Amino acid sequence: MKHSFVTRQRPTLVLMAILAIASVFTYGHAFWLDNSIVIAIFALMAISVGLCYGQAGILSMATAGFASVGAFGTAILTTRYGLSPYIGFGFAVVAPMLLAYPIARALTRLSPMPLSMATFLLSGIFEIAVREGGDFTGGYIGLSGIPRLSIADTAQSMHFLAWGLVLLALFLCVNLMHSSHGRAIKTARHDALRATADGVAVPHLLASTFAVSAAIAGVAGWLYAHHLTYMGPDSLTTQVSIQAMLMAVVGGAQTFLGPVVGAALLLLLTLNLPAAETQGMVFGGILVTVLLFTPRGLLGTNWKALMRGRSSGREEPFARPAQPGSGAAISGTSVTDGVGS
Amino acid sequence: MSIIVDRVNVRFGGVSALTDVSIRLDSGRVVSIIGPNGAGKSTLFNAITGLAAVSDGSVRIDDTDVATTPPYRRIACGLARTFQTPRFDPLVTVEEAVLCGFYPVSRAGMLGALVRTPAVAKEERDHLAACNRLLEHFKLDDMRDAVLGEIPMGQVRLVEVARAIANQPRYLLLDEPAAGLAKPEQEMLTTEIRRLAETGVGILLVEHNFALVRQLSDHTVVLDRGAMLIEGRPEKLMQDPRFVEAYLGASHQDHSEEAAR
Repeated sequence: MKHSFVTRQRPTLVLMAILAIASVFTYGHAFWLDNSIVIAIFALMAISVGLCYGQAGILSMATAGFASVGAFGTAILTTRYGLSPYIGFGFAVVAPMLLAYPIARALTRLSPMPLSMATFLLSGIFEIAVREGGDFTGGYIGLSGIPRLSIADTAQSMHFLAWGLVLLALFLCVNLMHSSHGRAIKTARHDALRATADGVAVPHLLASTFAVSAAIAGVAGWLYAHHLTYMGPDSLTTQVSIQAMLMAVVGGAQTFLGPVVGAALLLLLTLNLPAAETQGMVFGGILVTVLLFTPRGLLGTNWKALMRGRSSGREEPFARPAQPGSGAAISGTSVTDGVGS
Repeated sequence: MSIIVDRVNVRFGGVSALTDVSIRLDSGRVVSIIGPNGAGKSTLFNAITGLAAVSDGSVRIDDTDVATTPPYRRIACGLARTFQTPRFDPLVTVEEAVLCGFYPVSRAGMLGALVRTPAVAKEERDHLAACNRLLEHFKLDDMRDAVLGEIPMGQVRLVEVARAIANQPRYLLLDEPAAGLAKPEQEMLTTEIRRLAETGVGILLVEHNFALVRQLSDHTVVLDRGAMLIEGRPEKLMQDPRFVEAYLGASHQDHSEEAAR
């Protein structure tokens, strides 16, 4: 039973059920459909973060960078060369992977902090390339007139396509993490040396995981470009990477549904904020609150144990039982452990 | 078929951790390494598995010099090891930890794993079945869903051994596997090591429990301060004053009684 399809893919099935209900309520409401599509796009980026940071422990600030590779790729292919958006989709999947793998091979040797700084700079390079790309990337003006998708030309069908892709990404991630590769990724995140002793080529495995997560971000970029039909230098910036990171962390980066829940929650919250400027303040506040009280995110927290712990006054819900001489270095969130070595 | 360690030197900065150590491990034999703390036993394991750089001398596995073979590939070609201090994620379940050991024999690619092709699904089922057999074998099936952080250290060591032998290695390097084990578990481990040796696995054993060493090993090497002191059959070593002084200490009488038990 424990290893059955239903148990394994429960997150995907739960999301499917939630979507069925949400689709009924949003049906025909242009405003909610538009929001739903944006949530789906951010959910994809947050899933990308969940795989890369939550599972493999690579703190990447380049999520939006890879999304913009996919978005500008499909924008240029469709507007400049008149190619089909579906060729653009292929590009949006493959190009971020091909970029991410060699970069990760070079970067994952770094310890967590320099690694995230490096991805931060990488994201900056993508932005500069877009701005200085002249007519090719649209420069400061951007590229407009990106065609809508023939299979999803209305907001309603785009809603289904976008969430269909989220479900697919989730399904693939769940499969991956329940395979020998997934177990190796978890081992490598916790202790790279242990993974090596299991026979895992750690740099290759982490770089491959990074590449898969980049491909998911690329798909988000593809949706973004064909949904808004415009790509500009300010569309997918490092700011967006940080938002996606925040969504994953708030929802629970190590859980499968957490990033999706985080994306929905934060974007619905944004709708009700009085002004765009307050967003940074509120998001910052949420991040601090989550890290203080539920460092494993909303879905990663054992709420029952947390409540029980509160009432009985003691018992840390996330404290791992210490074994005399276990020797393993464990930090509070542990997601960045062992990446550097 | 053998691992041949030939006059290996390992240096950490100015400190010489191993000096001219030579050991030969043949298939189906149990070779023990004993010595006081800091003698270089674990460093020798690291030199064989490639986790410590060998500055001089050579390590050959099945007549191939592995100087340029990265550690993970040495594991893939039939080497397995445990760590003196078990390295484990305390949040991982017993079953999952043992399943991790199947990685070298898994042929699934990343893309296959993503879509879970029928071949990958079948391989997963096979590994799960093999994992169940291992768990039963080590009497761990009751606690398969317990996380490693919550089970006794002795059981954690058994999980580590199960994880190491999951990929059916040809050479097994065990670093103090019996530390913290209760008597029945120790006997189970002894039987298992014997059984593995009979099926042709070469076993290199680091162990402080001299009674266990005497029971199991065909050959024993005594290391002291990174160099080989003496080697031979355990019974012979007991007679050697150098061994007694370096390892058992001055009050030989007490220890030999303890070891004889």
